[in-house]
Formats: sequence, C-alpha cells, structure tokens
Amino acid sequence: MNTLRTALLLAALAILAAVPWLGSDVLIQFGINALLLAVLAQGWNIIGGYTGYASFGNSVFYGLGSYGVAIAMVQWQLPFGVGLVFGVALAVLFAVLLGIPVLRLRGHYFAIATLALAQVMAAIVSNIKLAGQNIGLVLPPLNNDTLFYELSLGLLLLTTLSIFWLTRSRFGFGLIAIREDEEGAAVMGVNTTLYKTLAFALSGIFSSVAGGIHAYWVTFIDPESAFDISLNVKMIIMAVFGGPGTILGPVVGAFSLSAISEFLSSEITSLAGLFFGAVVVAAVVLMPRGLADMLRRFRSMGWRYFAENIRTHRL
Amino acid sequence: MTAILEIQHVTRRFGGLIAVDDVSFVLQRGEILGVIGPNGAGKTTLISLISGTLSPSAGDILFEGRSLAGVPAYRRARLGIGRTFQIMRPFSGLSVLDNVAVGALFGRGGGQALLSKAREQARAQLEFVGLGGSVDKRADELGGPGRKRLELAKALAMQPKVLLCDEVMAGLNLVEIDEVIEVISSVRDEGISILVIEHVIKAIKSLSDRLLVLHHGEKIADGEPGHVLASQAVIEAYLGKRRA
Repeated sequence: MNTLRTALLLAALAILAAVPWLGSDVLIQFGINALLLAVLAQGWNIIGGYTGYASFGNSVFYGLGSYGVAIAMVQWQLPFGVGLVFGVALAVLFAVLLGIPVLRLRGHYFAIATLALAQVMAAIVSNIKLAGQNIGLVLPPLNNDTLFYELSLGLLLLTTLSIFWLTRSRFGFGLIAIREDEEGAAVMGVNTTLYKTLAFALSGIFSSVAGGIHAYWVTFIDPESAFDISLNVKMIIMAVFGGPGTILGPVVGAFSLSAISEFLSSEITSLAGLFFGAVVVAAVVLMPRGLADMLRRFRSMGWRYFAENIRTHRL
Repeated sequence: MTAILEIQHVTRRFGGLIAVDDVSFVLQRGEILGVIGPNGAGKTTLISLISGTLSPSAGDILFEGRSLAGVPAYRRARLGIGRTFQIMRPFSGLSVLDNVAVGALFGRGGGQALLSKAREQARAQLEFVGLGGSVDKRADELGGPGRKRLELAKALAMQPKVLLCDEVMAGLNLVEIDEVIEVISSVRDEGISILVIEHVIKAIKSLSDRLLVLHHGEKIADGEPGHVLASQAVIEAYLGKRRA
C-alpha cells in the first residue's frame, strides 16, 4: 500500500515534470501559476494548517520575495539567485521582527493584526525610491517558460518534502501541539514563542521564493500586485479546500481550484467570479475539513458525510 | 526528607478576587501531598502557579532550592514539573499514542529527539496507565475515564520529578478510582513527588501521606490526613458552622 502510494506520487511528479515538453504554451503558463499558488498554499499550511495561526500576512512574504529579486536585479544588477536569497532574508527578518509581537495574539485577533500588514507594506514600499515607489520595477525579461515551470515545480517539491519532514519530527509535533492547545503544549515543554516564530519564518521562506520566481517571470512588479491581500485569501481557500494540516491537501486544493477557476473564466467570462464563489461556498459547507478528510471518510460514510457536515454546522 | 518544592507566601489576585492568599507549604521528595478544598478554594490556581501558566502576585516558589520566578512554563516542564489538567485537553487531532509522544519529545531535559523512540516510550507509558489497548485511537474517541488516564500518561511521559494532578479522579466510578490510586502509588514508588488535588475525599485520604486544606484561598490545615479531616476548621469549611 505504502509502496504503491509512493509509486503513484513519483509517477504524478514525472508527468508534472514532463508538461513543458508535452503541453502547449498556455498549459505551461497555467502550470506555473498553479504551481506557485500551490507553494503559497503549502506555505500557509505550515503556519495556518499545522500551527493553527490563520495568517493574512503571508502575501507580505510573497511581496518581499518579489521585491528582493526585483531590487537585486534592477537596481544592483545582481543575478537572479542572489535576488532570491535577498528576498528570503527580507521575509525571515519580517517574520521574526513582526512575528514575535503579532504571534502573541490568538484566533481572530491574529488574523486581523496580520490583515493590516499587507496594506502597511504596500504603503511603505510605495515611498521607497530603491523599490521604484508606486510605479514599480521592470525586470530584464527572460523568455524561458520551461525554466520557470521547472523551478516552480522544484520549489513545490521542496516545500512539500519539508512538510513531510514536519509531520515526523519533534518540531512538527511541537507545532501541532500548539495548534491543538497552546497552554497544554507549553506545560509539556514546548517553547511556544520560538516554535511559532520558526513556523512563521519557514512559511515565509517558501512564500518569498515563490514571489521571487513570479516577479522574474512576469518581469514587472508594483506595490499593488506584490502585496495583494486577495492572493492571501486565495492561498487560504486553496489550503482549506484541499485539507489544512495535511501533507498533500493544499497542493490538490491549489491544482483543482486553479483548474476550476481557469475553466470558468474561459467558459463564462463575465460570471466566472460568481460561480467560483459558489464552488468555494459549497466546499466549505459540504466538506469543511477539506478534500483530504472527505476522501478518507467518504469511503466509510458515503453521502451521509455531507449530510453530517451540514448538520454539525447548523445550516 | 528534603523538600523538592517550596511554596513561600504565595498570593494570586484576579482583580479584586484573591484566589490564593499567602499560602506556604512544602512538598517533600517522594511524598504524595493531597490538596482539598471546596469549589473556588484556589486549588487549580495553585497548580497553575507552580506549572507557570500563571505567575504569583506575591511570594515565591522554589524548585529544588531555586526560585521559579520569571521561569516560563516550558522551562519548568524541562526542569521536571509535569501537570495534568482538570478539564481534559487531549490534542484531539492526534492519536492517543502521539498525544503521549509529545510528552516524551519535550518534557524533562528537553526530551527525546527521535519520534520513533518517543513513540516507544509513549507506548510503555500508555501500557502503564492501562490504555495499552487504545494507542491507535484518535484522542477524542476516548471517553471521560480514558481521557483522565491519557492526561496522566502525557504528564508521565515527560519523566517529571514532580507531578501535579488536577482532579484526575473526578467523574470516575469506584473501580476506576481504585485503579487510578494504584497507578499514582506506583508512580510514587518510582521516586516521583506528587501533589494531588481532589474532591473525592475518601480516595485522597487513603492515597496521601499528608493533606493540605484550602478555603477561600487560604491554607486552613496541613498535616496527617486522618487528623486534618477531623479538625473543626475543615469540617466547618465543608459543611458550614454548627448552630449553637
């Protein structure tokens, strides 16, 4: 069973890796977007899914990663790789400096506090000359979608492997204990402040690299698009749709929602947003614990699974 | 006997309410100390003050002769202070085994770094408290009595020097109470010092070496169980004053 699962995963990975040689340009571009969104959903999974802190500040990591690459390449004429490292450094610095005060808040208060961060960052960056103020920066174009695709896939693989490691490490168990009961975790010896900050930073590392790759790919960034809160909402929806706190859930969520969204906007252009919203609402009502939980329990419970979810949420 | 835990003139206020009022006592090494008192007497607050989830408004707590002032809860756990919660709080998303493994992964001295080793220890601990048959269940599938045992196993997996038990017998039937008493006695036989908060007076009388009574946050008695339970002040605290 376990070897079968591993074989299936490797096969899926091989097919994904082969897409640039088999698919059309449109498919590759869709793929890059979907892969980067999957990385963001996985990044959110670390702080939101495993640690239980619903962060609305992850789009800041993405923005910092984008600006790290843009500033390094445009203003300092450094290579892309150096830009990525610079972006990651900014994200980690941000995670530590703001994480320590903000991670003291719980539940809604944490969500609200982080919600403001993206707005604040957009305002700050708009006033920094080095970052091109509110006009933004134009990066040197690199017309190689295959490279961007494989980079994104590699990043997603690295992120997912890290989460796999989390689920069987002391660090990961500490995070889950914090999610389940923070006070209980502390009296068992978990250094909750340190662990939460590390989880926030780890989440930031992956999200910022995704931002950096995206910036180089689209060759243009401005504060509006780099610190876009709706991107944060998207990653949460994708992670929750697939199954927060699971290894593969957010990836499946990101791929399936990207596909649904793409299909809707090509079929019924003007009303796509409405239908996409309906899909999300239906998902939250019918399977609030995500696809992963549904797949696990649908086999034993059948349609009762949905009925029960509706009942427990008193709808 | 030497003291492992010394509570020195500890007071804790919540706004105008004084939950614990200038309480002093000593927990000796290898001793089982029972703490009783009516509802709201400050028993759970006392445990929270020792485990570090609350800090005292005044007074000091010494562990192995060193002050715990300013030492956060997780460090106290690593020093060897383990506690159970009155309101059982299993990590419901984890299996029974992994709940206990958290204790082994952290706990005294920073715990066991390897998950496989931690699970091994957890399995032994669950066997010890009588939950050996439920290791693979999800923690929230356990009933009340099972959760009480799980609380104990989680704390024991930390390999504490001091175990603080907050009403581990509440809600259990007589047979289950006897089983838990047996478990706690054998924990003491391993050299762990134990502070037990309990409502079930009969159980605590047979279990404790010494009994301490709290009333309105104040210590009103401290001594040999039979003697303490017969004292006038304790009877009045529980039953009220006899009319003259």
